[in-house]
Amino acid sequence: MAQVGHRVDYLAGFCCPVGGLVAGKPRVLCHENEIYLSNGSEFVYVYDQEGKVLKAVYRCPDRVWHVELLPQPRQLYILCAQSGIYCVSLDQQSRLMEQTDGDGQESNCPSGVFPVDSDACIFPDSSLCMFTLLNNFVITLSQAHGKWWMKLHELPRPEQESPPYRQVSEVGFCPGPQPGEEEDGPPSRFLPVLCCASSPGTMGSGEGLWCSGGFVLEEPLFSLLFGIDAAMLESPMILCGFPDGQLCSVPLKALSSSPPVDGCHDVSNQDPPVKILHHLEEPIVFIGALRTERRAAEDAEDEQLFGDSGCDCVVAVGHYGKMVAVKADQREEATVPELREYYLRGPILCAACSSGSRMYYSTHSDISAVDLDWVGDSSDPEDTESCTGVLPPVLSPASLSICSVVALSLSSRASEGESELLALSAKGRLMTCDLCSPEDADVELTPAEAGRRIKELLSGIGNTSERVSFLKKAVDQKNRALASLNQVMNVSAALLSSQEGQKPIACTVTANWSCLLLQDTVTISCLLENCSEYSLEEGWTLCVQLLASPCALEEESSVDSATTFTFPIDHLLPGNKRELTLPLGSAADTKLDLPLTISCALYYSLRDILGSGSDSSEALDDLLPDDSPILSPDREGICLPLSECTIDMLQCLRFESSPPGLDASPPVAAPPAPPDPVETFLKVSQEQTEPKGVKAGELPHATGEGNLPPSAASIRVSSELLKNTLKTSGSDVPLSCATLRWLLAENAGAEALSSGNVASVRGAAPDGGEVQLLVREVAMNDLSPAGPIQAVEIVMESPSLADMCRMHHAVIRRIQALVLEQAAQGSGPPDLRMQYLRQIQANHEMLLKEAQTLRDRLPLGEEGATTAEKLLHIYRQLRNPSLVLL
Amino acid sequence: MKRRRGLSPEPGCPRAWAAENRARAERWRAVWSAGHGETAAQEVRQQRAGFEQLLRRMRGLPAALPTLPLELTVLCNSLLFTVGASESAIKGEAEGIRQGLLRVLEACGACGQDLSTEELWQKVLQEVTVKELQAPLQHLRALQAAWWLAASRLGSVAGLFRLLSNTEDPGRAHCSMDENKLLSLLKAWQAPTEKASLPLVQSTRHLKEILCTTVAFLQGLQELEAGNFTTALSLLQEAAGGFCSKRVLAQIYTCLGCCAQRMGKPQTALQHLKRALQVDFQCLPALSHAAEVYHELGETDVELQALALLYEALEKNPPAAASCSPYFLIRIELLVHTPVLASLLCHRHPSEVKYLLAQRCLQEGRVADAVEHYLDFLALLQEGLQQQVPLNSSSALPRIPVVFLETASALEQAGRHEDAITVCEEVISRTTRLILRVFRVEEPECPSPGAGLTGGLLSQKKESLCCLAWRAAGYLHQGWAWAKMGKSKEAITQFSRCLGDLCRVQLCGFGVEPAEDPLPEVEVLQKIRFLSLTGRGMQFLELGRHKEALLDFQHGLQISPGDPTAASYLVQTLWKLNRKQEAAACWQKLSHSPPGEDGQQEGQRRPFPLYLVSCLKQTMFPHSESLARSIQDYLETTSQDPLS
Repeated sequence: MAQVGHRVDYLAGFCCPVGGLVAGKPRVLCHENEIYLSNGSEFVYVYDQEGKVLKAVYRCPDRVWHVELLPQPRQLYILCAQSGIYCVSLDQQSRLMEQTDGDGQESNCPSGVFPVDSDACIFPDSSLCMFTLLNNFVITLSQAHGKWWMKLHELPRPEQESPPYRQVSEVGFCPGPQPGEEEDGPPSRFLPVLCCASSPGTMGSGEGLWCSGGFVLEEPLFSLLFGIDAAMLESPMILCGFPDGQLCSVPLKALSSSPPVDGCHDVSNQDPPVKILHHLEEPIVFIGALRTERRAAEDAEDEQLFGDSGCDCVVAVGHYGKMVAVKADQREEATVPELREYYLRGPILCAACSSGSRMYYSTHSDISAVDLDWVGDSSDPEDTESCTGVLPPVLSPASLSICSVVALSLSSRASEGESELLALSAKGRLMTCDLCSPEDADVELTPAEAGRRIKELLSGIGNTSERVSFLKKAVDQKNRALASLNQVMNVSAALLSSQEGQKPIACTVTANWSCLLLQDTVTISCLLENCSEYSLEEGWTLCVQLLASPCALEEESSVDSATTFTFPIDHLLPGNKRELTLPLGSAADTKLDLPLTISCALYYSLRDILGSGSDSSEALDDLLPDDSPILSPDREGICLPLSECTIDMLQCLRFESSPPGLDASPPVAAPPAPPDPVETFLKVSQEQTEPKGVKAGELPHATGEGNLPPSAASIRVSSELLKNTLKTSGSDVPLSCATLRWLLAENAGAEALSSGNVASVRGAAPDGGEVQLLVREVAMNDLSPAGPIQAVEIVMESPSLADMCRMHHAVIRRIQALVLEQAAQGSGPPDLRMQYLRQIQANHEMLLKEAQTLRDRLPLGEEGATTAEKLLHIYRQLRNPSLVLL
Repeated sequence: MKRRRGLSPEPGCPRAWAAENRARAERWRAVWSAGHGETAAQEVRQQRAGFEQLLRRMRGLPAALPTLPLELTVLCNSLLFTVGASESAIKGEAEGIRQGLLRVLEACGACGQDLSTEELWQKVLQEVTVKELQAPLQHLRALQAAWWLAASRLGSVAGLFRLLSNTEDPGRAHCSMDENKLLSLLKAWQAPTEKASLPLVQSTRHLKEILCTTVAFLQGLQELEAGNFTTALSLLQEAAGGFCSKRVLAQIYTCLGCCAQRMGKPQTALQHLKRALQVDFQCLPALSHAAEVYHELGETDVELQALALLYEALEKNPPAAASCSPYFLIRIELLVHTPVLASLLCHRHPSEVKYLLAQRCLQEGRVADAVEHYLDFLALLQEGLQQQVPLNSSSALPRIPVVFLETASALEQAGRHEDAITVCEEVISRTTRLILRVFRVEEPECPSPGAGLTGGLLSQKKESLCCLAWRAAGYLHQGWAWAKMGKSKEAITQFSRCLGDLCRVQLCGFGVEPAEDPLPEVEVLQKIRFLSLTGRGMQFLELGRHKEALLDFQHGLQISPGDPTAASYLVQTLWKLNRKQEAAACWQKLSHSPPGEDGQQEGQRRPFPLYLVSCLKQTMFPHSESLARSIQDYLETTSQDPLS
């Protein structure tokens, strides 16, 4: 079916919650030139369509579930969640409305916000779910005691004051297993739908029938649907669509089985007059009626007499797209109701019926129009045989190209004589859509009309091209997104499948000294190498996380001191490399917590795939299931870990630009600016005391003011072990030099070492402290009965205790790795003199114990100072074991 | 989990609570004595919230024996206001009472979380011997009884009070399983006097009176339902002698009246109903029951008067929806709400009463009144939604088309033929489109998706059959009306239409063979057919088209063999056709058939629909005397002839 010609105008925007409005509760009503709108919040807006201004805003005590308008006298009836129905007289407020300026935003015109207070509550009943108006009657539907209760109340006539709202009648019924297990609980997210169907007789009675959303149903459909009694009573019928899918009818004139007996609301033993018309098996969101057959010419007089003709087809629409239409089949002498179910594309948010044969329904993506006018082609007898019926066998929806509309209403402005669709979008925008009815096309056009029509067509073409470009853009974007997803998946697969061996995309981390902004700083350079066959496209990010090791000097600096740096990777072709550098901190400002654990990962944000337009998480949910393993914890991207390494002191040591001196010259002053003695003192004392919890001021003066006696530590490793590891047996390089080279292998500044045989180096720590590293060969005589054991002693010295400790840690870490490696190869240790070993161990244990006791009872004051001194001594002793690693 | 027992909160708290309880009770007394109405109702709601809040505060602390009497008193007051604030009857279990009992057990160091409320009571009454707690527990027990009575759990109530008598005096009241002893058990119970320091808003002694009346009332209703009228009568009389409001008293008298009526004592019934009305004229069900009794007695005048009075009363002030003043917080109205009572006290709608009036007038042949009432009723239907027209099975109203047909019948009898024709026209036009073209016993098509629409094909078919009958009856009445106006041609047309309608059924199976037990609708259709044939035959006779008349009468006799009217007409037609011999034979057959048989047959059959009665009357053969004489003469001459 061709697209329906239309023109969309945006009228105003209204506030909407994050995530947009949810269908069901929002409502748009139109009467004369005013639009009454509720968006599910506690506000009800009155918008003047003529002047395009917001006339008034009413603030209700709770969220608004339903709004109805009574035009004479002008009153709004508002159902608030869990509290009841409020009545607002529009005439009373109109004089107040003059001050309001019409901006469309209630925040801009606070003077126009009228609070609806609890005095206006005419039916305080928290179990009320829905209501509708029929002239001066209010029909309410509530849910209590496991039943639905429909009550009929009479509104006070303008001239009479009391009794205010007389309950005429009520009936309780439970269609099917409903309503729900949660007794009297809040109703589900679907509210029941109420709609009033009047018989043609009531229309002719002259009384202006008012029932918004209601309709007059023609005979014989009325009798067929509701029975002869209701038809002869000319009783208006209430059609109820329940969330469980039942479509019921209740005759309003025979609502009650009997008036309540004093206090005994017991109607359970009497059969209610409720008739179940159909079961849609999904929540009913709309009930309406259509005029599917155009009147024959001779009926035109009738039409003029009775005004608008009645409807001849009742439709009910379910949330998931099931729709039922009922029409009387009068082709034979006896009339039977024809009922047909259709399946539309759901979920259907809302719907509206035109005065003709069209029904409009809105889904998330579009508003569609379906036409139920169908005349079986009687000229072809076979045709009528095959598809007997007065309703079309299938519906062909025509798109209106307006998406995510949550409330629809059809307004016909009498002045212009054309109908238009009022729609409230999920984003809170109110718009009108002019509907070009198909009848217009058939009529002979006057030149003026033709001109207008051409204009409309042109505007339609404009609209269409706009839509085409929009659609094209959307398609392009989707293609792009798919391509991106494809390459992301390729990369992920490559990385995840090669977990054991060398990763096709690798990241190597090295530490360097460089001069940044006239300051020497330690920097980390990450070399990202793409050895895979896929290129890393735009969208990938390299994340480098710096994590101070938990074994760092400060105890309180725990795991959460992680810093993450991200570098977008523009385009990394296969075989290419990219180097990224990030500063760790200069000598002056920050204290560097060595060792640092650095982990690198590749990250791809899925949000970017979808483009900036879609910020809802729903789209993402559609793309990837919840339990997808590669989704990052925030479920917004893909995270692929690359490598993890540790940067320690040995890697960050800085040497003189000239090759380091061959021999250890006496420590004069540190190569970078010699530190101020007081500062050094403070720093050292702080660093020393921190692990022990002693305050800085209580440090003993024994540490000295001038040159500090350098702290030292030593490790002995058997030469055998080192030789095996370093494979130096063949070369002529002395073992000590080889060991030193091995230790500083990862230090970029230590290349000079490889040239000469150097057994001792002096360098600067990142914070500027001087560090000396000395390697010498020693013989351990009394360890083994077999004779002296050749060993290498590594001595670390630094005036700064902290630097020395870091150094010690770094060396031990390497030797640990070495020993573990050797142990894996399974070389047994030589014979050892156990007695000696035990002695050493006993000594150490005693020292440890002593240290423990000292730490346990840390005295204050003068005594504390001496204790600290003692402790320091013990630690020093502990750090210089006479043990050797074999 | 055991809490520190016996630790009383600081003395300030209980004193403040007790003071609040006292102040609230005093305030309520003041409001209560000042008067009732909207302010009192509001006060009840406020008090309810206040007491509930107070109770919540008290329950915030662990249960302690010293404060428990106060707590139970506050609980009782809170429950009393809960009842008082609810407009309708008490429903559900009183969770508050259960909580209170659990608190008592907690304070005594026991627990009973998983016990039922009955078991809980047993445990509490047997194990808790603290003297201070006895009086508040008695109050609470009375409330528990009220709750269970409201749920009609008479057995539980009996158990509760049996426990009581056992603990009080195990020797005196032996355990009897008879539930009927409940009343005596309850009467034997000594309601404790409340302490001035712990005031209750409704005294337990008062509550006891209410419980006694309620038990008697409820048991009386149960017996009434079970058909033990004598027991019911004595129990209800007991209830009537008890303490209750005028409204309830009137209800009890109404029940007494119904009981007497069912016992076959209409005069006693009338007396009870009269007393009910004397006590409370608003007790309109008594009036409607009185009308029924008069109907039974055959006193039509009084019956109609009663109905007219009822209608007037209903018109003047429609039954207010339970706007009882909160005179007492716990009222019998809130405790007794069984389906039996609801059906006994069923209010009639004004429309129903109007219809009953009209129908009774028509049945009694008071045509002018009937016409008036029927027209009033039709006018009521046209009124707005205020006039509710009950259409369910318990309603006095028949289907609406039937009402129209009865109206037409009344109009016709009153000589307003044109009006009758108009009314019938309405029925005909309304039903026309709902009639299936043909009725087949078996429908070959499978039911359309619209099966649920009209509750299945069968009911749709049945409904269609009803519509057919109504339309046919409409034509029949129109035919008679035209006939009465002397327009035989029009009358014949209508009768023919009627017969044409009925042919549809006959053609396709229904009623081809007169089944042993035909559907009531089919039977009505046959009657209409017979009446229509007879009517048309009469018109043909009138026009002198004797042959056609003869055919009609013959058909009529086929449908209803031995019908004296049709037979008489047949004889007359034959006579007029100069087929005197046949006429005489027929007449002889007719006169020899036992006259009683006919009436007997009528009695066995279902009664004629009211709207057909007038037609039946009109078919009465008017000239039987003269016909008989002429046939007698003929017979004499023919008998002489062969002799001569």
